Amino acid sequence: MTETERVPGEGDMWFFVVFESLVFTSYFCVYLYDRAQHEHAFLKAQSALNLPLGIVETILLLTSSWAIARCVQEVRAARYRSAQRFVLATVGLGVAFFGCKLAEWVRLIGDGHTFTSSEFMQHFFFLTGMHAIHLLIGFVVLGVIRYQLADPQHRSHQTIETCSTYWHTVDLFWVLIFALLYIVR
Amino acid sequence: METSAKKRLLVAWVVVVAITVIYLWIDRSADDRGVLVSSVAVTVAAIGLALVKFRIILGEFMDVRHAPRALRRITDLLVVVIAMALLSAYFVGRAVA
Repeated sequence: MTETERVPGEGDMWFFVVFESLVFTSYFCVYLYDRAQHEHAFLKAQSALNLPLGIVETILLLTSSWAIARCVQEVRAARYRSAQRFVLATVGLGVAFFGCKLAEWVRLIGDGHTFTSSEFMQHFFFLTGMHAIHLLIGFVVLGVIRYQLADPQHRSHQTIETCSTYWHTVDLFWVLIFALLYIVR
Repeated sequence: METSAKKRLLVAWVVVVAITVIYLWIDRSADDRGVLVSSVAVTVAAIGLALVKFRIILGEFMDVRHAPRALRRITDLLVVVIAMALLSAYFVGRAVA
């Protein structure tokens, strides 16, 4: 290992990243196989989704990922006040994403698209619901970063990097979920 | 060096956002007057672009490019495995439909 090479955060978190990616991938495979079997029905149900809103959600989450990466850069430079601002920005962007997602669920359910209305919607609500659970856990993780930054005695760069890795993982999964639910034809 | 790291992160963000916006064009080019139509090209492009974003997030945002070689190789392998699994599921599904 050269001087500049280092594992970002704790190794265990990377085991989680790989493991969770494979778990999500296995579900994506079921979705794609099922979709290919019932293409017409899936396309019809998919047309109820709002693509521009999905794009806004994706940009919000990508920007939150950028903000937490900037936070880590500030922590490494020992600029903790600036790092705190980036964590707050990340929380704000995450909340905005969650708000958009809730609005989308409410609209779809109001239009009669529920978990049981079609196979596509079953996959849609399951995948976006699982992702939302990961997102909510992410808010707790961002709280840990905020706490660590505010208290010099409990501050650990490795813990902050581990927590930021978790938040990026939420973004990683969304990038795939978005493409598979909104774009795939 | 620190400035270049900030710039690099910003460029990565611009690229992933640009790829996301490209989806709008792909989406419109594939549909027939607002009616969604099946397209293998759109499906493969959507999965391919998503994995490009996946790789950029890993390398730039998650800082894997500065990680030991083992982690870089594992994450590269992960991207390949996901690509192969998704495309296989899609094409096998179509073949037996």
